[in-house]
Amino acid sequence: MILGRVVGELWATRKHAALEGRKLLIIAPYLWYAPAHEIGHLVPVDPVGAGVGEDVVVCLGDPARRALGSTPVPVEAAVCAIVDRLELAPPGERGARPLTFDTGSAPAHEETS
Amino acid sequence: MIRGRVVGEVWATRKAPSLAGRRLLPAADAGEDRVVVAGDTHDACEGDDATVAVGSGARNVLVPGPDNRALLCDAAISLLVDGESR
Repeated sequence: MILGRVVGELWATRKHAALEGRKLLIIAPYLWYAPAHEIGHLVPVDPVGAGVGEDVVVCLGDPARRALGSTPVPVEAAVCAIVDRLELAPPGERGARPLTFDTGSAPAHEETS
Repeated sequence: MIRGRVVGEVWATRKAPSLAGRRLLPAADAGEDRVVVAGDTHDACEGDDATVAVGSGARNVLVPGPDNRALLCDAAISLLVDGESR
């Protein structure tokens, strides 16, 4: 999934029949691992009810199409979550989690008196 | 699957019903700066090395079996790496 910000909504009367009744949003993606080409905006279907200005998680590809129902829908992006809070380590601080040992569980060498 | 390190967490209360209760974690490439948001079943933390299944197969990580068509997820953490040798 990718992260993006909702910048608008799209309306259309002349459209594919399978898009009837579907809400379409305009989002500006800001975290995308493999964009097919330089994309400024993406138009996903919104089954969750996001508004302008909210950050959303968008599902791409075939799962987005199949999750929207049994009729073949001509979409490949769907909003799947509205972000309340995002925590992201900056690029310089993405190290491995350090190993720590609980003092109670580390093997202790017991001496018998 | 692609390899990534968990670099944070995404909190969301309003989600698609099929994702209710699922954790969403961003995982970043080691060398490059690409981030994918993936569903999680292994209770991964920030800093964990993971592989992320991307595409239709990601649904099988969260809900195995043929009845997972309604799951709105295209990336999921399939395993947490203990070690590797090259």
